[in-house]
This record gives sequence, structure tokens and C-alpha cells, in this order.
Amino acid sequence: MQAIETIAAAQDLFTFCGETPHLMGSRCDSCGACYFPKTTHCRNPACRHSNVVQTLLSPRGRLYSFTVQGYRPPALFRMEPWRPYAIGLVELPEGLRVMGMLTGCSPEEIRIGMAMQLVVRTLHRDELGRDVLTYMFEPVGVAESGQ
Amino acid sequence: MRPVYVLGVGAHPWGKFPDKPQLQLAIEALSAALLDTRLQFADVQGLVAASSRFEGGLGWGLHANEILQTVAERGIPAINVGGGCAAGGIAVHTAALMVASGQCDIVAAVGAERMPKGFIPRPPGAPDDITDTDYLRWVAIGATNPAYWALEARRRMHEFGTTERTLALASVLMHRNAVSNPLARYRSECTVDQVLSSPSVSDPLRLLEICAVSDGAAALILGTKEQARRLGVPLVQVAGSAVATSCFGDPALRIPAVATSPVEGVPHTSEVAGAARRALELAGMGPVDIDFIELADNSAWQVLAWPEMLGFFEPGQSDWMLEHGEMSIEGRLPVNPSGGFLSFGEATTAQGVLQVCELTWQLRRQAPGRQVPKAGTGLAAILGLGGNGASIVLKI
Repeated sequence: MQAIETIAAAQDLFTFCGETPHLMGSRCDSCGACYFPKTTHCRNPACRHSNVVQTLLSPRGRLYSFTVQGYRPPALFRMEPWRPYAIGLVELPEGLRVMGMLTGCSPEEIRIGMAMQLVVRTLHRDELGRDVLTYMFEPVGVAESGQ
Repeated sequence: MRPVYVLGVGAHPWGKFPDKPQLQLAIEALSAALLDTRLQFADVQGLVAASSRFEGGLGWGLHANEILQTVAERGIPAINVGGGCAAGGIAVHTAALMVASGQCDIVAAVGAERMPKGFIPRPPGAPDDITDTDYLRWVAIGATNPAYWALEARRRMHEFGTTERTLALASVLMHRNAVSNPLARYRSECTVDQVLSSPSVSDPLRLLEICAVSDGAAALILGTKEQARRLGVPLVQVAGSAVATSCFGDPALRIPAVATSPVEGVPHTSEVAGAARRALELAGMGPVDIDFIELADNSAWQVLAWPEMLGFFEPGQSDWMLEHGEMSIEGRLPVNPSGGFLSFGEATTAQGVLQVCELTWQLRRQAPGRQVPKAGTGLAAILGLGGNGASIVLKI
């Protein structure tokens, strides 16, 4: 069987260290501020020497808040098959809170404070037959328990 | 700087008007504001328009020029201001500065909008890559605007114990206030149960707890004290006005960002908090001196969060205030006697101008059925894309 080609929903969104996915962000070497997505300048007004370098963000964090989106978003977003889905805000050890789709649990199981980990999943297949991938967060332990 | 007064206010009702171009809505609102003070287009010495990306403005946001080239082409300054949904507030602020500086004695500010149907999509013009978070939030997450407010609402429920009933009650209050406002689009009262049984849009927010999008237009004429006296209008003064932008470390998850890095001590929605603080400072007032407020209730969450963010209540206190009637028209701090965005639907750039019109009607005691009993001072606050905030304080 031929492997299906994949493509990220946006370039420079995430990368893999071995099997583990990481979001690609930026960190200011002077003041330590972190950004996602990657940026060109540090916008901390207290930072005197903006020196931004690429960084891989921690793949684990805690769920800060969540919502279940019940209506299909405008056409720029493609998800096949479409169904209502959860979006969460996950607080990473760097202090960043990152928004992302949630997976690996039903809406009723979602709790603020849950330990979450970054995963990469398929959103849809594009016209060239490629699987379009995005990052999502799932509760820690889902992969191990084989769900 | 000279003191600035509101000479006239006017608005086109909010709703859907497929047969009226944006330009016509603008001209009708301006005509109403001029009629209100018995002035004519020829009397206006400057025009400030809130620039919309949706319709009109010759494709460049030149809404003031378009109006002048239609109704009064006579060489006066045209200022077109951007600021996303805060553009209306920024237009009023700019017009006030033009009078205060001595450049003009009579200046008009206008915001007019025709909104496309449904969720507000991505603006045109930015590259399709990760440098535009408004691209990223759609392609990678599909996060609609209500999803942002819902994340805040859910967090509030976690932190302060806000219930779904209290969120629903905020919507009930906005709809009740609008019943006697002829400009509002939705003028029927609703019950908590009706709100709770409306479809979930972005849980915990339901259809009746998020603002629709509407067409609408509002205008006001500002001028000097001499002009106000000459025209014999009530002396409603711009006590303070300010615009501000967001601060680094603000915990708000700002549309269309996909991440935030909070820093201890930085206020939530800092662009609006900052503008309101500055407007109050310029007015020589504090929150305790304000009799009522008009705020940008894109959802029921803002009705609870903003009075706290603006310094009127302590964090977490709004729930009790709302449940005990203190945010109603007869309460301690009436919030959105107009009915707010939830009853109007958001006509983005017109909204900030309408807020100041409502302040004026209240201060002049021209708000039958929704009149705030003790209305001597009022504050309007509005938020716009790009970290824009504006706030206007009026007094009589």
C-alpha cells in the first residue's frame, strides 16, 4: 500500500523530535518571553535587546479553558467529516496559553486543569490527495490506554 | 484645549436593510444628527468617519470622502479612522480633539455598516501563511469569534462559579432594556428559560447569548460651547475621551491570536481598560462618579466581565450585582440601557458612535421607557481588532 502524503495546515506550525510533536514558537534570548506562532521581534516593552530565536514549545500542559463549537466555521476551515468539536486553551510550562482543537475525549469528559499533550491529527484530505494535518491537544494517557 | 459639547445625535435603526447601501445609511444617520440640532451639512467644518472593511469607502476605507462627495463637496477636512470594531469610538475621540484643539468649531463623526451574514470571516489582503494569525486560527483550529468569548466564559465559570443561568440573565437584561428602544433590532423580552433553550453556538454560549451582525449607522455632531449655546441644545459635555492599545502580558485571548502570554499584574482587555482609565482621568472622575455605562457586549460574558475590568466592580462581583438588579436601569450601575449589542446585533464600526448617542439621549432625558433615573454622567467603552480600545465620558 502506498503511503499517503501529508501536509501541515500551515508551514512552520509544528515539527517532530523523534515521535514527539512540538509546536514551533519563538523565545526572546534577552527577556525569556515566548511566542506562538513564531515571530520576528520581542514585543515586551521592558525588553531592551530583542533577540528572538526559534524554539520548540513543551508538548505538555494543563487545560485552562475549553468550548465546544456547535456550528461549522467559514470555509477556510476544512474538517472531514465535520462534527461539533472542542477547542481548548492549554497553559504550557513556558507560561504561554495556546489555543487548539481537543481530541481523545468526549466533551463530557473535559475538565479544566486536565493534563494535556500535543498530538498531530488529520483534518481532511486535500485535492491532491494529501492528508492535511494540524496540532491538537489530548488528555495525557489516552495513547497509553489504547483509545 | 477647549471644552467640547455634543450638539446633535442621530442614528438609523439597526436591522437588515438589503436595499440600502452603506452610504445611504451613513447619510440618513448624519441627516438625523444634523436635524437634531437644526444644522445643515454646510455648517459642518470637518467629518470623521469610522472606516469599514465590508462596504463603501471607495475600497480604501475612505468613508468620509465618499459622504462629502455625495452630499457636500466643499473642501472641509475628511478624516477616515481605522480601529476595527473600535473605529466608531476612535472617530468620536478624533472629532472631539479637532474641536478641542481649536481647528474646527463644528465636527461630525459617523459610523455606518452593512454586515455580511454569519460568522465574521477573515479580512482580505494578508498572506496565506503563519505570519497572519487570522489565517492560522481558521486553517489550524477553525476558531470562530464566539469560541474566543466562550473560552473566557468557561474560565469565568471555573474561577467565580458563574452559572449558565447568570449568563442567560445577562442576555435577558439586555433584551428587556431594548424593548422601548426604537433603534434596536431585537425588541422582544425573553426569559432565562428561552435563552437556555436556544441552540448552543460555542458552549457555554448560546444563540441568544452572542450578538448577531446587523446593518446600522449612527452619527454625532460635536462643537464648542458657543455653538451649543447658539443652537440652544442641552449642554452635554465630552468630559473625557481616550483611545488606547493592548499591553504586553494581557491575559485576554485576543481575536484572532492563537496564544497569549500573561504577565502578573497586567489588566485583562488592557486596550479598553487603559482607554477607560485615561478617559476618566481626563474627566477628573473615578468609576464611582459614573452613573451608567454602555459597553461592548459581544456576548453575555462581556456583560459580566467588563464592569469588573473597567473598575466598577471587584472581580467576580458582577454575578451578584446582575442577580440583584444592580445592573438594571434602576440599579446601582445600569449597564447598556440601550439594550447593547445583544439587542442590536453588531454593526461593527457604527457601534462605538451609537454608544455615545445613547449616552447623550440618557443625559438629555430623551430615553423614554429605558431612562436611567439618575443620569448625570455616562461612560462608553469599546474594543476593536488589533488591540484597539476607546472610551468616552459624557456629563451634563
